[in-house]
Amino acid sequence: MTDVIGWLDEYAWGAWVILRVFCVAAVLTVIFGVLGAAARLAGGWSSRIAGVYVTFFRGTPELLVLLLFYFGSAVTLTAIAQWFDADAGFVDIPPFWAGSLAIALIAGAYATESFRGAFLGVDSGQIDAARSLGLRPWAVLIFVRLPQAWRIALPSFGNHLISLMKDTALVSVIGLNEIMFTAKMATSVTQAPFTMFAVVAVIYLAFTTGLTALLRWLELRANRHLAR
Amino acid sequence: MSFDVGLIFESLPQLIEGLWLTLILLGASLSGGAVLAIPTVWALLHAHRAVRAPAQAYVWMFRGTPALVQLFVIYYGLAQFEWLRETAAWTLLREPFWCCVLAFSLNSGAYTAEILRGAISGVPAAQREEAWTLGFSRSQTFRLVVWPQALRLALPPYSNEVVGMLKATALASTVTLAEITGIAETIAAQTFAPYEVFLAAAAIYLALAWMCQRVLQWIERRLTWPA
Repeated sequence: MTDVIGWLDEYAWGAWVILRVFCVAAVLTVIFGVLGAAARLAGGWSSRIAGVYVTFFRGTPELLVLLLFYFGSAVTLTAIAQWFDADAGFVDIPPFWAGSLAIALIAGAYATESFRGAFLGVDSGQIDAARSLGLRPWAVLIFVRLPQAWRIALPSFGNHLISLMKDTALVSVIGLNEIMFTAKMATSVTQAPFTMFAVVAVIYLAFTTGLTALLRWLELRANRHLAR
Repeated sequence: MSFDVGLIFESLPQLIEGLWLTLILLGASLSGGAVLAIPTVWALLHAHRAVRAPAQAYVWMFRGTPALVQLFVIYYGLAQFEWLRETAAWTLLREPFWCCVLAFSLNSGAYTAEILRGAISGVPAAQREEAWTLGFSRSQTFRLVVWPQALRLALPPYSNEVVGMLKATALASTVTLAEITGIAETIAAQTFAPYEVFLAAAAIYLALAWMCQRVLQWIERRLTWPA
């Protein structure tokens, strides 16, 4: 245990990197999810493209998506750089951004289905009522459909956010210096790998437990009109 | 840079060699998970808090941490314990393969137990009461009334668990195992053609995921009787 004390600042730094990856990816997940759901609902070819997006990212291992993104983007960027300057060396997207983008695309595929289902799940009587009250189409969307869809989407979307939090661990594989890196570094000095990786597990457990509590509070809030 | 469709087909035979390891890891982990899930779900539903608490802690810990971290705790971590290195178990635990099987089984066990718990709670309470009125014993009620229905309710979420575990087997490549993802990484490093090779690997996973889902849907249909 005394081994860990000296490394706490390094772990705090690594945990901060994880939180930043999570926040960036969570915002991107909402964007991809909304775009995906809109495309799915629009019908026609956009619906088909969104369907391929959802199937691909839900059926491919997260790790493989990450490798595809990181190494794929590096090869493309290097080729572009060499097109301009034949002596250009290896160019890559920073692992922070490649990783955040890749895990957000995966979570976005799951969010697409949650958002689509939630949007369709809003009682059609509500929409008829809003229209008959004279609300314009945008007002029906903003004040009636979206707030209620949010409430329906929250439980499943929350689960996808928890998965996203756990997926941040994968970003270490493409070389981002976060808590897994801290654990490896600390292990090479202290020769106590179990302790050092267990600390990583404890940090993740704290994050997922905190996120679960936050989501439960949001759900209670979203359903407060139902409370008796 | 160019996209070489031919390379996708050239890399497929090599990737297929990793398919066996992926399938073995999947089968072993799901079996291990099922073995762990049964006592865990029994404990989760137990009336005594002292029995429930350790099972709840197990499920909470393994569902709340990334599978990659669990794998690293086992693969890198266990060597820290001198006493363990002197036992017979060490001949297995120093192999990355058995570390993966252990880590993935523990992970799958937690998820499967939670699925089963949900399914057992999903069987209407009236069924239990009626079985009791008909004179069934507690164990008969569970074996003949609750369990068969719970298994059927558990199948749809279990199919997600199977696909999730299939995707988790890719993590084995981080501890040097040459399953599909591990082989893909090697070929991509040699050919410097990540798109072609990783997309070919993704195609294999997608086909596997699709097959797993079809098999489970088939079982589900077999087990569903007209309402």
